[in-house]
Amino acid sequence: MPILDWIDQRLDLADLRRFTAEKSVPVHAQKIWYYLGGVTLFLFAVQVASGILLLLYYRPSASEAYESVQFIVTQVEFGWLVRNVHSWSANLLILAAFAHLFSVYFLKSYRKPRELTWVSGALLLFLMLGFGFSGYLLPWNELAFFATKVGTGIAGAVPVIGPGLMRFLRGGEDVTGATLSRFYALHVAILPAATTALVVLHLLFVQRQGMSVPIKEADRLRAGGRARHMPFFPDYVLRDVLVWYVALAMLAGLAAFYPWELGRKADPFAAVPAGIRPEWYFLAAFHTLKILPSHVLGMEGEQLGVLAFGLAAILLVAVPFLDRRASRDEPSRAFTALGLAALVYLIAFTIIGYLAS
Amino acid sequence: MKGSLWPVVLAVAVAGGAVALPALAAAQSRTDQCVTCHASLPESRLAAPVRAFSGDVHQERSFVCVDCHGGDPTSPDRAQAHSTGRGYRGKPAGPQVIATCARCHSDATFMHKFAPSQRVDQAIEYATSVHGKRQAAGDTRVATCVSCHGAHGVRQVRDPRSPAYATNVAGTCGACHSSPDHMKGYTRADGSAIPTTQRAEYERSVHHSALVTQNDMSAPTCNDCHGNHGAAPPGVGSLTTVCGTCHAVFQAKFASSVHGQIFEKACIECHGNHAVTEPSDSLLGTSKASICASCHEDKDDPGFVGATRMRGAVDRLVNEINASSALIDRVRNAGMEVGDQDLALNEARSKLVLARTEVHAFDPEALDKVVSEGTGILGGVNRAGAEALDELAYRRRGLFVSLALILLVVTALGLKIRNLDRMR
Repeated sequence: MPILDWIDQRLDLADLRRFTAEKSVPVHAQKIWYYLGGVTLFLFAVQVASGILLLLYYRPSASEAYESVQFIVTQVEFGWLVRNVHSWSANLLILAAFAHLFSVYFLKSYRKPRELTWVSGALLLFLMLGFGFSGYLLPWNELAFFATKVGTGIAGAVPVIGPGLMRFLRGGEDVTGATLSRFYALHVAILPAATTALVVLHLLFVQRQGMSVPIKEADRLRAGGRARHMPFFPDYVLRDVLVWYVALAMLAGLAAFYPWELGRKADPFAAVPAGIRPEWYFLAAFHTLKILPSHVLGMEGEQLGVLAFGLAAILLVAVPFLDRRASRDEPSRAFTALGLAALVYLIAFTIIGYLAS
Repeated sequence: MKGSLWPVVLAVAVAGGAVALPALAAAQSRTDQCVTCHASLPESRLAAPVRAFSGDVHQERSFVCVDCHGGDPTSPDRAQAHSTGRGYRGKPAGPQVIATCARCHSDATFMHKFAPSQRVDQAIEYATSVHGKRQAAGDTRVATCVSCHGAHGVRQVRDPRSPAYATNVAGTCGACHSSPDHMKGYTRADGSAIPTTQRAEYERSVHHSALVTQNDMSAPTCNDCHGNHGAAPPGVGSLTTVCGTCHAVFQAKFASSVHGQIFEKACIECHGNHAVTEPSDSLLGTSKASICASCHEDKDDPGFVGATRMRGAVDRLVNEINASSALIDRVRNAGMEVGDQDLALNEARSKLVLARTEVHAFDPEALDKVVSEGTGILGGVNRAGAEALDELAYRRRGLFVSLALILLVVTALGLKIRNLDRMR
């Protein structure tokens, strides 16, 4: 191709050509799960693109935020589509990130030498949740306002640093325009910067180490089994793109048939409306805190719950270092059972929390 | 050191007590001898006032029995305590009640010490009331101060335990006015008997429902229309003024209307008095349920034509509001943003309220003008609703085109992948 020759003459793409020709992906029965990481990345890209478009019209102040989103969905050409895609893609992104995390967990792909890939991935999931929490408030509607009040109130239950953390998140004692300003800064500057750095790191790790194979497949290879691979370019990339297109079709369908409701503008002096609940990915934690007794083991129930979730997050990040059997390429049924229990808990409490609210 | 001081402290306390107790006992006997005796009397008629007086607004402000009944409160001797020589007046009755209460309550200087903002013209007003006039004529069965406020358990009117508290007023007035025995012999100016159904009628009214069920303390009860101390039936000429105290716009519209000149009983002609029911559009027009038809029966009667036209105009606005609301609900359920249309619908509903108010001017032209303003607003809502539905259809068409294109690309990719797999 003349254009490629033109570039090649100036930049010498021989290394890149060799890299694309040589890079391959292992083929085995579980390879379908590999695509979840790619879908998550694709949806993140959709978020960045649609988020930038929304930034052209969004105004981050308590007096203008709601009206600006209303303007976007009613007056701006295809504004409704951009906003709906951004909202739906955010939810699909978190769903894909969770699915990616659990697939990696059950395949034990975090085992040596990929501990850091897991750690960066787990941190990325937390950042995605941070995106969800901060973005939920930005339209400054009634449900988001009160849900943020509850959410930041829960942060206030963290022992010792809780009250300070709550004031830091809210920018004062209560959820106000100051909260909106800092959630906006978090959503469009701080979190994207941190996410971009971590995504680059995560991809570098994946690229450097290649893709993991399940323990059974590794055993088969060690026993002299033939290693099967497929070229990354174009075979794997084409499959990835195909999955992305399917995700895009889903997004378009959801955006057109189930537009994201804007609701009523937040009124700090209004009575708390019925049905206040956080986004679905916080529902399990929210419902758990709700059903905890007011006092457990001499501690406030909510405080104990927040501590337990904090501990669970630390344990999640530390999984590769705790699962010693997997690091020796041995099956670790205890961790599989733990993962299954966590998955069942998350699904069950999300459903119960949804029905209860 | 500490131990050596205790006997001194104890001695001072005992000595102090010895001096103080007789003084306290003397003070009690000076002020409470009435209470001491009456509280121990076996006859409940004489003992009950002592119990009732505890918590009375006067007792809370240090008034005692003798302030109303006179006598000597320091004497434990019955004859001496009840001696007329010592100012004993006994139980005030009839005009004495008014005089007893008025001694303080009509004295602006005295009342200023206890309730600076309270009126002091109750006795003057009472003299102008039907109750006061009958009493002056020697009727001893009419209501006096104690009939409505109580005698020994008087509470402030704002206290929900007071018989004069807004939600208790109907029951207080009804104690006499709903009793056929009590009201026997009382007649109106025209000689007809005064009915005893007012309370029952009022309790079916929209006013009672607002006051008692919805806790709307601005809703009227007996005294809001009849007056309290100067209680009397509103005169024929003042009926619109009485209703207009709250319904000012209706009063103004009605006053300018043709009916304002000829309706002897003003508002009551259509809405009734004690049993004012929830007004509805069915009162208007010429159907059997309407009120207009009871006078305007003839189809050629301009009143019949006007009533038909006015009902048609109101119905048109109601129907158009319902249709526009249904359209906007449909659009909202499809996920479209309808904030502006909701505001416009609220504005149209305000026009409906104005139209229903305008009915009281009985001028079809003026009503048509208000209704037209409402339908004009709804026209904009309907246009926006139709545009939103078009936009929705456009989005869905666009979605199908996009999905078709995506399907095409996915198929092409699938074929390409299959070819690659075959080549390997």
